[in-house]
Amino acid sequence: MKIIKAIYNFIVGDMVILIGVALAVTILALINSVGALAPLKGFSGPFLIIAVLASLVATLSREAFSFPR
Amino acid sequence: MQWVVATAAFLASAVEFVEAFTIVLVVGVTVNWRSALLGALAAAATLALLVATLGVAIVQWVPIDALRLVIGILLLLFGLKWLKNAILRYSGLKARHDEEAIYEQNRAELRARGAVDASSSRFDLFGFLLSYKSVLLEGLEVAFIVITFGVSAATSTVSRSSGIASAALGALAAGLLVILVGAFVRIPLAKVPENTLKFVVGIMLTTFGTFWLGEAFGVEWPLADVFLLILAAIYLGAAFLLVVWLKRVKKQQRAQAIENQSAPTTVQTQEVNP
Repeated sequence: MKIIKAIYNFIVGDMVILIGVALAVTILALINSVGALAPLKGFSGPFLIIAVLASLVATLSREAFSFPR
Repeated sequence: MQWVVATAAFLASAVEFVEAFTIVLVVGVTVNWRSALLGALAAAATLALLVATLGVAIVQWVPIDALRLVIGILLLLFGLKWLKNAILRYSGLKARHDEEAIYEQNRAELRARGAVDASSSRFDLFGFLLSYKSVLLEGLEVAFIVITFGVSAATSTVSRSSGIASAALGALAAGLLVILVGAFVRIPLAKVPENTLKFVVGIMLTTFGTFWLGEAFGVEWPLADVFLLILAAIYLGAAFLLVVWLKRVKKQQRAQAIENQSAPTTVQTQEVNP
């Protein structure tokens, strides 16, 4: 368990970023594989940029508001 | 020698070499040169092995999109973490060397588990991996460029091997030029403050991560590789706005804390001197 935690801390160490990137990848994979979502393919690029920025804002908000400094 | 093929391969490969070299450069300056160069050399060796064993078939056998996906995700995770910490430090919400302490702790944990060779104190796994995967991916792209340009140049009068040789010479010239320019840039870069460098690294890793991840999902970025600059500008602008916002938040939190501290004192004073 400790080794998994050490690797997690080494690679990312932030649950918000991990969830944000995982969600973005899942949605992009769905857009690429589900036929009904094919018309959204053109928005994949802007969506990815927005998802990255949203993850950044979410993790910074958590740091800024979660505990008193 | 086919000059058209060589020039096309030179220009296309130069872009890929610049991308790879940029990451090796920032790893060298922010982590250490030993890990950065070892990572780059290991990637070059892997690449040489792949090209030697697969030859022209590398285009069919190496899943470049799968590599882009994995490397893109890893770069995004690394990049966002670095960018977050750099923004927190700039806004004053985090002490300047907090991250280093945590990072050292993680390294100590990994070392205790045998994941890092304790005898080589200067070797840095993070820097090595970052340098390795970037050089490997970009190197593979150069190999793809050389093979596809070389093969497509083959006609009834020009053999396939002659086309590939011309493209390879073009790519080699681009690689040497990028390394030469990089060697000159290295010295002034070393004088930039550490926190600024880490901020720039965060922006760059996030930029490359987004770009490659998008390519893995078939995104056709406008202006092709030039879009990397636009992407970096978007993230840079967003990061500056976030620093300004967080500075305001910190100011408000400080004002709130001062108000909370002074309120009970006033009540106590009134009680003693009615």
